[in-house]
Amino acid sequence: MSAPTDTTTQPKAATALVGKRRLLPRLPAHGGASWHRWRYPLTRRTPLLIETEYSPTTLAAQRRLLNPRPVLWLIALAILAVAPPLFGNNSFVAASTNFAMYAAINVIWMLTIGTAGIFSLASLATVGVGAFGAAYLSVYFGFPFWAMWLAGPFFGLVFGIFIAIPAIRLEGFYYALLTVGITELCRVYTVQSQKLGAASYGLFGADGFVPTSWPERPGLVLGYYAAFVVLMLALTLYRAINGQRLGRLLRAAPEKHEAFAEALGINYRVARIQVFLISSAALGGVGGFYATLLHGASPSLFTMDQLLLLLAMIVIGGIGTTEGAVLGTLIVVLFDKVFIGLGPVRLILIAGIMLATVLFLRGGLFGIPEQWAAWRAKRQSERRGAQSGKGGEVMPEDAIEIADKQSIAVRRFDARVKQELRGLISDALIEEHRATEGQRRSDALERVLTFFRSAAVADKYAILAVRPFAEYRIVALSGRRGIPPRVVDDQVFATPEAARHGVFLKRVQDLMES
Amino acid sequence: MDPYYLALTTVTLASIYGLLALGISIIWSSLGMINLAQGFTFAVSGYGAWLVAQNISTNGFAVLAGGVGTGALAGALIGGIAFIPLYDKPNFPLRSLIATLGISLFGGQCLLWIFGPRVKALPKIFGVGNVHIGPAVASYDKIGSIVCSAILLLATLAWMKSSRRGLEIRAMMQNPEGAALVGVGLRSTAMSVMMVTGAMAGLASVLLSQNYFISPFAGVTPLVKGMVVALAGGLGSVAGALIAAVLIGFIEAVTAVSLGGQYVLITQFLFIIAVLLVRPRGIAGMIEHTRE
Repeated sequence: MSAPTDTTTQPKAATALVGKRRLLPRLPAHGGASWHRWRYPLTRRTPLLIETEYSPTTLAAQRRLLNPRPVLWLIALAILAVAPPLFGNNSFVAASTNFAMYAAINVIWMLTIGTAGIFSLASLATVGVGAFGAAYLSVYFGFPFWAMWLAGPFFGLVFGIFIAIPAIRLEGFYYALLTVGITELCRVYTVQSQKLGAASYGLFGADGFVPTSWPERPGLVLGYYAAFVVLMLALTLYRAINGQRLGRLLRAAPEKHEAFAEALGINYRVARIQVFLISSAALGGVGGFYATLLHGASPSLFTMDQLLLLLAMIVIGGIGTTEGAVLGTLIVVLFDKVFIGLGPVRLILIAGIMLATVLFLRGGLFGIPEQWAAWRAKRQSERRGAQSGKGGEVMPEDAIEIADKQSIAVRRFDARVKQELRGLISDALIEEHRATEGQRRSDALERVLTFFRSAAVADKYAILAVRPFAEYRIVALSGRRGIPPRVVDDQVFATPEAARHGVFLKRVQDLMES
Repeated sequence: MDPYYLALTTVTLASIYGLLALGISIIWSSLGMINLAQGFTFAVSGYGAWLVAQNISTNGFAVLAGGVGTGALAGALIGGIAFIPLYDKPNFPLRSLIATLGISLFGGQCLLWIFGPRVKALPKIFGVGNVHIGPAVASYDKIGSIVCSAILLLATLAWMKSSRRGLEIRAMMQNPEGAALVGVGLRSTAMSVMMVTGAMAGLASVLLSQNYFISPFAGVTPLVKGMVVALAGGLGSVAGALIAAVLIGFIEAVTAVSLGGQYVLITQFLFIIAVLLVRPRGIAGMIEHTRE
């Protein structure tokens, strides 16, 4: 038989801690559990984690959304899908197309940097290789646009295999430096090669997917929607790789923990190279799309400045998350293409934002909430630490761990009361207690006795009559059922009055020592 | 193929690459930071030398001093922005790398904004003419480049070997925490490292500008070259950087003579990838554990 526990007063669902701010709206009534039956098709993921809880103030049932991210993504993507063609002028639609394409590149790049953990700076170079390859096939062999889309990933994959060879041996920054060099190599090669359009600064004249008979505006809108589809495909790919088997394997093998993962039987090297090759092929595919969008490719894809802008995009948003990549791209493209009238100043502004992000933020813009919370917790504990001299009942570092803040207040109140009572204890008071048994007592002594009586059982003593009216001893109560009281010391009292005074002395001693 | 010409070109290129690579290598090993703003230092010291030549004097020493001084200042600026605020923060290597990239974007665009896109030319500080050394013919440029960079390299190495500051820098290369424990000021040492390597890049800039023009983005190619030389030599090794500089200068000279200028980067990269596949830490690279 289990111990009787009080189940009736326990709420059925979790209650929020007192004092937490509500950032998201709560829906009334029960029903959170029914959401757990929904699944994304073909996966075991629930789309929304909705939980029923009881309001701490009204005790009314309410539903709370634990992961607002899918909803925010949906809203953002809906705005992106509708707003630019609806409200923007032609140059704005073109800038939005650019944004969607670069966002797709960054999301795929995040697979290489974040999931695979290979710090490759050759992402734009891979796009460039895909674009040049597709444009070359179209210009010299007459490939149509859909064949260019198929050729792009092929070129990206081949280039990826080529640059993956050093990635097997090199680590971290060694590889980053090498890929910067490879990008520069590509730029020099395309600038100098006659077949790749050295004379016209780029290889142009490739087939495009927008029919040439279309007027300008519908063509731009079609280009935008195609780029938007590319972005959606990139996000899907990210989800499919990072959220599924390969991503899970690699999450078990972060930097400096590879040996552990290997001991678990994870072949992290193969997984890394697989992710790297998949993202290279995808980047090549974006390159093929780029070539059909701009009817060719230009060596500006390989310049250091473009690479720096791309890096600025992922750094501003925060390395390692797709929303960071998309938001960073949005900010940089906004400055780069929409404020184009500012001239070089706009790039200086972008570089300034990038520097400020790196100097002050640990994880980009999307790391701000976490960093802010950490900073606030630090400040709070510093403040608590500063005031520990006054009421050190609960040490400040303990206080943040105690969920029931009321117990802290109780302990503090208790300590203050004890401090005040200690000032009342004097020889005269003890003598008064001995002498005035059963009579009216002074105010000070009554206060002390009231405090003693209010203590918990575990803190109290009892009198054991060994031989009634002859021998009394003091015992301490355990406060727990089944555990007998224990004898405190060897003192023997002849009368109950003396024993009661002995208990009083013990309690005074405890009070003075606490 | 004229072997004397080949040797001379090799030595000229090796001395300039050595200056650039040594800077990157020393910064990496002592500060733990990869300075990708070295290209910006290179470009800005070219402009510094050009300003001196325009406004003060076209004397060779004045122009050289202008370039070297601007380089040292730019190095101090990079150290002040990318090292001092970040070195005790989490994720320092990546953040400082990105910060130096940000500085190079920022600086390049500032130079473009201030000086405009038109390229500038420095005066020929070594004069125009040729010297005959035995059977070889060398222009004043090449002799001047070799002599200047050899002087600066040797002076730097001697300074690192014998001076108090040099000892501090070497202590910091071996073990930054230990160096800090025994009283080496990390910040001041880091700033002096940044200034010395900036001065090296400034000198390399003036020397290379004898043959190339100064432009806001002129630093990219030297940066890439210096970086790959430092990689091939092994980040953190002085001797490795010098050996790699000679090897890569030789490959460049041979390729330019036998295959043509556009294949230079390709052969260099094939060489470097081959070296790194065999020795992932470069020819004489420190083992990562030594640094940690």
